[in-house]
Amino acid sequence: MDKKRVVITGIGVLAANAIGKNAFWEAILNGVSGIKPVSLFDTTGFKVKRAGEIKDFSGQAFLGDKGLRTLDRSTKLIASAAKLALDDAHLEINEENTRQIGVAIGATFGSIKSICDFDMDGLKDGVRYVNPALFPNTVINSPASEVSIKFKIRGFNATVSTGFCAGLDAVNYARDFVRFGRANAVLAGGVEELCEEIFLGFYKTKFLDELDEPGGNFLGEAGAIVILEDLESALARQADILAEVAGFGTNFDQASGLKRAMRLALDDAGLKKNDINGFFSSSAIKSMVGECFSASGALQVAAAVGAIQKQPLKINRLMVNCSGPNGNNSSMIISKYS
Amino acid sequence: MQDLESEIRALIAEIIERSPAEITPDANFFTDLGVDSMMALEILTAVEKKYKIQIPEEKLAQFTTLKQTVIVAGEYLAAKPQNA
Repeated sequence: MDKKRVVITGIGVLAANAIGKNAFWEAILNGVSGIKPVSLFDTTGFKVKRAGEIKDFSGQAFLGDKGLRTLDRSTKLIASAAKLALDDAHLEINEENTRQIGVAIGATFGSIKSICDFDMDGLKDGVRYVNPALFPNTVINSPASEVSIKFKIRGFNATVSTGFCAGLDAVNYARDFVRFGRANAVLAGGVEELCEEIFLGFYKTKFLDELDEPGGNFLGEAGAIVILEDLESALARQADILAEVAGFGTNFDQASGLKRAMRLALDDAGLKKNDINGFFSSSAIKSMVGECFSASGALQVAAAVGAIQKQPLKINRLMVNCSGPNGNNSSMIISKYS
Repeated sequence: MQDLESEIRALIAEIIERSPAEITPDANFFTDLGVDSMMALEILTAVEKKYKIQIPEEKLAQFTTLKQTVIVAGEYLAAKPQNA
């Protein structure tokens, strides 16, 4: 079976250092940091007081005033990223194409705050008085589902929950749908929100070091989506093609997993290591926007496309890597379209 | 009763994201105000929580207008023990 070529035609990003594709590219290429004092919750009691927070975010600027009241921060972040990505790709969803469009979102920790809030309401006021409309936020596939609902997308909908690699794995999941002809376009990406509960968890487990200054290990939050399309569909609607997804590899191996994932990605793309002339690692992004877990891979893809489009270093083929301490490793190759 | 109506109108307005003025006593929640089944459950829970009362879920079917909601809430509020 002939596999289709998969291209990127739109990007939507909300991160601590920038909102929107062009602002994000500028911020990443100039090393702009989004690490700042946390305003979402009280950091008294924590030695670390800063994080990659998206300040003053409410979602209204992207999604309008109505229908946001019961949505949690993760859902609003990824729905806002979807709006930005659809606008960037000039992709209109209508009755004719909606069943050929899918959604694949990486999400791992996003529902923790919603679960805690829901349980806390039950403990404080009694289970009788818990708001039923807040229950959907407590499940991990809520952000992806809300993207399909909000934008009336009726093709497949999936949530990929593989921690540090989830955003990249979601992009690859979407890529498979497109290259095997099961979807013409997919909104693919990842999301994580910053909240006290996740902050506390990573603080207590010593994931966050206590160095509250540049070079420290900070948490972050982001919503990032890329629009993937098969080349034929993109050309037919005269879309602006930003880059191509050329290869992917993944495994679960703490010992030599990342190396193996990179090898698998090269094999998948039919390339040799010397064909790659740029790398993005999760630590490069993390130093600017904080550790964004499930959003990290999608942020890196967005940044890699920026490196290709802006050409600061004459790069035309980059490898993007994600690696989790549990053994998850994923690599993706993003190429200049030609 | 007037206070109760005005308080419940404010609760409903917040849940369905409309101005209180649109929620006239006889406006039908579903056909006139776009209330869906989840919003109806939210309205029931919000009324229960505000007045610390328990309204049986079978009464939800009567929550079709502001007037009806106020009548049902008033009924259970009146039956609420004073020290509850």
